[in-house]
Amino acid sequence: MTFEELDHTADVRMKISAPTLTELYIESGFALAATLYGEYSREKGEVSFPIEAEGKDAEETFVNFLSELLFLTETEYLVPTSFDLVVCETTVSGNVSGVLFDRKKHAGGIGVKGISYSGISFEKNAHGYELIIIFDI
Amino acid sequence: MNEKIQHIADSEWEIPTNFVPGMRVPGRFFLSESLAKGLEEGALTQLANVATLPGILCNSLGMPDIHWGYGFPIGGVAAFDEETGIISPGGVGFDINCGVRMITTPLTLADIPDMKELVESLYETVPTGVGSKSPVRLSQNDLSSMLTDGAKNAVELGYGMKSDISRCEENGAMPGAEIEFVSKKARQRGVPQCGTLGSGNHFLEVQVIDEIADEATAKTFGVAEDQICVMIHCGSRGLGHQVCTDHLQVLEEATKKYGIRLPDRQLACAPLHSPEGEAYFGAMAASANYAWANRQVITHLVRELFAKKFGISYEEMPLVYDVAHNVAKWEEHDISCGGPRRRVCVHRKGATRAFGPGRKEIVQEFRDVGQPVIIPGSMGTSSYLLAGTAGAMEKTFGSTCHGAGRVQSRSSAKKNLTGDMVAHDLARRGIIVRAPNAAAIAEEAPDVYKPSSEVVQVVHDAGISRIVARFRPLGVIKG
Repeated sequence: MTFEELDHTADVRMKISAPTLTELYIESGFALAATLYGEYSREKGEVSFPIEAEGKDAEETFVNFLSELLFLTETEYLVPTSFDLVVCETTVSGNVSGVLFDRKKHAGGIGVKGISYSGISFEKNAHGYELIIIFDI
Repeated sequence: MNEKIQHIADSEWEIPTNFVPGMRVPGRFFLSESLAKGLEEGALTQLANVATLPGILCNSLGMPDIHWGYGFPIGGVAAFDEETGIISPGGVGFDINCGVRMITTPLTLADIPDMKELVESLYETVPTGVGSKSPVRLSQNDLSSMLTDGAKNAVELGYGMKSDISRCEENGAMPGAEIEFVSKKARQRGVPQCGTLGSGNHFLEVQVIDEIADEATAKTFGVAEDQICVMIHCGSRGLGHQVCTDHLQVLEEATKKYGIRLPDRQLACAPLHSPEGEAYFGAMAASANYAWANRQVITHLVRELFAKKFGISYEEMPLVYDVAHNVAKWEEHDISCGGPRRRVCVHRKGATRAFGPGRKEIVQEFRDVGQPVIIPGSMGTSSYLLAGTAGAMEKTFGSTCHGAGRVQSRSSAKKNLTGDMVAHDLARRGIIVRAPNAAAIAEEAPDVYKPSSEVVQVVHDAGISRIVARFRPLGVIKG
C-alpha cells in the first residue's frame, strides 16, 4: 500500500504516494475503498464501469475523480479491485472494475460523505507524487 | 488557550476582531475552563474566519461541542442579514439535516429480559452501515414528493403517525425546497438509501431515563423516570452529501463572481438572494426534508419491532421530538447586538435549534416551556433532553450544542483500542453494542468524545438551554 491514514479529529486524512501520476490516482481510489470497506481481497473484477473526471487544477481533479468513485460505490454497490486509467494533467478517464458489495466480506469500513478540499495538498517530489486529502465521514 | 482570547463570563469566551484580518464581528464560544484547555487552535481560527463573512450579525458563535470541521467549526452558529448576508455549505456540512429524534415506550427495564437479543433484532431490522439498502421501494416520483414534503410524505406512505409531524422541527419539512436543484446524481444516491442509518457517528440507541431534573417540563414532554426510550441519529445520507458536493463547486465560482474575499476556500458562499445562493438553499431544504423522511421510516421500523416483540401498540410509542443539526434556515430574531426583530438566515453546523418559550415555531403543547432539545451522548455516556430558553434567543439565535464533540482522532482511537475491548468494557457496564465491524466500535469509543454531562452542564449554566431529563444507554447499534 502507498497510502496511510494521518491523524485527524473528526475525519479521515490520507497521505497517498506513487511514482507516477496515474498510479497516484489508482492508489487514491484504493485509499477511498479502504476507508469504505476496510481491508479486502482485490479479487478479479466481475463488473466494470467507465469513470472520468476533470478539474481546473490537480486538486480539483482528484476531488472530482474520488467523488465519481464514491458515487459508483453507493449507486452500483461497487467495491473496486482494479483501475485502468489514462491521466493527463487535469483530466482522468478510463474504467474501474470490481466486485459487488457483500456485507460478509466488505463491511469493515466507514461511510464517506464527501471528498473535502479542506487541507488538500498535491505535490511532485523527488520520489514521484504525493497527495494529502481528507474524506469527510 | 490562545492569549488573545478573553474570558468574559462563566463558560463564555470572546475572540476579538483582531484575531484574523477582516473580522466583522467578534467570535464567542461557550466552554467550561476545563473543556477550554482542549480546544483546537484550528477550531478557533475557523470560528474567527466565519466572522469575516459578509452580513454576519452580532457574533460568530461556537457551542461547547466545538471542534475542527469543514469551513465552519462543528458546533458553529452564525446568522446573516437578509440583504447583505451570504449562504455557505461550509456552514451546513456534508450531511444536511443530520439530526436526532427520540421516541418513548410504555416499557421499563424489567420489561426487557434480554437486551442483547433486542439489540440484535434492531440490527437486523434497521439497515445499518456502508452498503445498506433501503427497505422502501421509491420511484423517482415518490422521491420528489419526499424531497418536498419530508416526514409528512413518509407518514402518508404508511411510515408513522400523523401526530409525529408536529413533533418535528419545521413540522418535518422545510419550506423553500426546490427539487430542480437536486442533481440526478444526488437523486440516484437517495433512492436506495431512504430508511437506512448510515455509519460513522450515526446510531440507534435504547435508553432508560435515570434522572428527571424538571418534573413539570418532563411531564409536558411526555417523559418519566424509568421509562425506556429509543434515540435515532442519522441524516440525509448520500443524497444530502451529493447536494453539498454539487453546490460547493457552484458556490466556489460564485464567490469569485460576487467579489467575496474569503480567508478559507472552504467558506465558499454566495449572497442569500443570488441565483446560486437560492439554488443551494432550495436543494439544501429538499435534502433536509429527505433526512426527516429517513428518520421517520427508521422510526416506523423500530415501532413495528417493539410492538411485535413486547406486545405494545404502535401508538404507544410517541415521538417526543426531532431536531436538525446541520441546516441553514430563515428565522425571525431580535437582534440583541442592535436593530429590530428581522428575518435572518441562521446557519447551524453541528448545533441544535433551542427556541425558548412563546415561539410560534414550537408545537402549541410545548410552547409555554420551550422546544425539546435532544443532546445525545456517546455510546457509553448519558444523553439528555433539555428545553430551549429565552437565554438562547438572546445569546445564540436560539441555538445550543448538538452532542459531546470529539476530542480524539479515529486513527488514534484505533491505535489505542480495539472494538472488542470497547464492546467488552461497555458490556460490563450493562451496555450492549452491535456494529458491522469492530473498528466502528473502537472509533466511536466513549473516550474519544468530551464527557456529555460536562458539555450539557455548560449549556445549562450559560442559560442557552436547560436540563429536563437524563438517559442512560442500554443498547446501541452503530453504523
